[in-house]
Amino acid sequence: MTAETDQPEQWASRILAAAAPFLAAIHRPTVSIEPSLAGDIEALEDALLRVQELQRAPSSDFHHDLLNLIGAIRGYSEMLYDDSALLHPTLQDALPPILVSVSGTRVTHEAPSQSNQPLPLSDAPGVILAVDDMPENRELISRLLSRAGHTVISAESGEEALELLETRGVDVVLLDLMMPGIGGAEVLKIMKEHEGLRATPVIMISGRQDMDQIIACIQAGADDYLLKPFNPVLLQARISAGIERKRWHDREEDYREQLERNERFIRQTFGRYLSDEIVEQLLEAPEGLELGGDLREVTIMMSDICGFTSLAEHLPPPQVVSLLNGYFEQMTGIIFDHQGTIDEFLGDAILAVFGAPRRSEKDPERAVRCALAMRDAMATVNTANKAAGLPVLSQRIALNTGMVIAGNIGSEQRAKYGCVGHAMNVTSRIEGQTEVNEILIADATARLLPAGVFELGAPRELVVKGIEDTILTYPVLGLTQ
Amino acid sequence: MNAQPPSILLVEDNEVNRAMLVRRLERAGHRVITANDGEAALDAMHTHRPAVVLMDMNLPIKDGWTACKEAKNNEQISHIPIIALTAHAMEEDKAKALAAGCSDYATKPVDFPDLLEKIAGWIDANA
Repeated sequence: MTAETDQPEQWASRILAAAAPFLAAIHRPTVSIEPSLAGDIEALEDALLRVQELQRAPSSDFHHDLLNLIGAIRGYSEMLYDDSALLHPTLQDALPPILVSVSGTRVTHEAPSQSNQPLPLSDAPGVILAVDDMPENRELISRLLSRAGHTVISAESGEEALELLETRGVDVVLLDLMMPGIGGAEVLKIMKEHEGLRATPVIMISGRQDMDQIIACIQAGADDYLLKPFNPVLLQARISAGIERKRWHDREEDYREQLERNERFIRQTFGRYLSDEIVEQLLEAPEGLELGGDLREVTIMMSDICGFTSLAEHLPPPQVVSLLNGYFEQMTGIIFDHQGTIDEFLGDAILAVFGAPRRSEKDPERAVRCALAMRDAMATVNTANKAAGLPVLSQRIALNTGMVIAGNIGSEQRAKYGCVGHAMNVTSRIEGQTEVNEILIADATARLLPAGVFELGAPRELVVKGIEDTILTYPVLGLTQ
Repeated sequence: MNAQPPSILLVEDNEVNRAMLVRRLERAGHRVITANDGEAALDAMHTHRPAVVLMDMNLPIKDGWTACKEAKNNEQISHIPIIALTAHAMEEDKAKALAAGCSDYATKPVDFPDLLEKIAGWIDANA
């Protein structure tokens, strides 16, 4: 309800009710009056008495006369308020209700809906939560801050404040120290223990006599304090500073969230194909990662299970799945251990690369070591298969080294990190001519291996479909003894 | 006659409001003279050449609108900006004031910091 919606007579009554403590106090012998303010106080009393007179004997233009008096009352009480440090405490307390009663705009407890537009940092209006058990203090704060463009929501108790903080985005909290129920210090403590509220600036409000508690609150994390009655300029300044702090914090928070989003994206994109170790490396230096696709040398591994297609035909589907999963689980672990990237599972075949997205001089050597470890692991796989009543498997592995294009390949809806290139096809051809339980590597890979580490068998020249030259290959027998 | 001209002529027939505004304006550092009606306001503008006039519109003898129009038609004083003081929320009063040649308006009861800004703005504009 705004003052303008009042009937003039009601408004006059409301002003007089609000002014009653002031009128009673000024002639009390115990209430001293600073001489420089005596004139203003007298003038304010005079204007208030004229309202009383007007109400007793309404004039022909009641509304007009009342508005004139309201103007005067507002002017004098604002002047006194500006100098309120000089006023006796009783009069300090008596002024806010008068100010509220003559102000044209009363601010409702409901704030207008907020826009999601980001606000510039400086001078930006903010959402202020005013917590005070005295209604006239709440309204005064609302009036002063609304004038500066802020959105003010208010709470009359610590409980209500905490409730509002849970549901509303608040930039700065103005918190009265002395309240029944949950007091200001307690609200502050709860906020500082709350993850989401910890960063919201808090300005404590109190009387001069509570300085010790104010200091305790500052130590407990309050950002600032204001003494009652407030100096409007100081209030604005502190609010602006608080909003500024909050904005910086929010920006930092946004930035951090963005980083987390990027990290999640990298994990999701690469988690299935890369070992955790490589994912971590990428996250530490994401700038070193070319997602767009790049031409690079990699060592390609292709392996499959010998005769799996015919094997699968004679097994019930659940057993096929179980057989494959047991095998893949073992092999995936080994490939990741050797920092390989799994490009694809094709039926019973595994396509992996060493050297993308991260390359190293040791990629070919690691790939061969990986192949040997995979061959060794077949014993474990087959022990488990026998125990489960599943058939024994045998594997073959081919390796080749060459240039490929590595990157995110696919459509926007479905993309995956992978490699394409002639070297991939060659690997597949070599694999097609690899013997059971054999590891066959192309000369391109063999030439990059360190001397004396692996024992290679006699070279074998392969003639393959679609490729003009023959391919020179070597079987890997094992590590040099 | 070399005394500095007053910065503000306040034209207001309501004595309570007038006294209050004089006090406040003086406290804000202005030199203020007053007039009680539109006729006296025109005389004061001629005599004292204030930097700004604050004029209530509902005035006896000659109302604010008429006084404003006459001031704007008088070459000697037409340059003096007049800020109309109009009753709160009366849109037609504001429009009428601007139509009469007022430079600006402030609603009553006045928002004093806002009024001071307007006054400063017009003084600067004419400096």
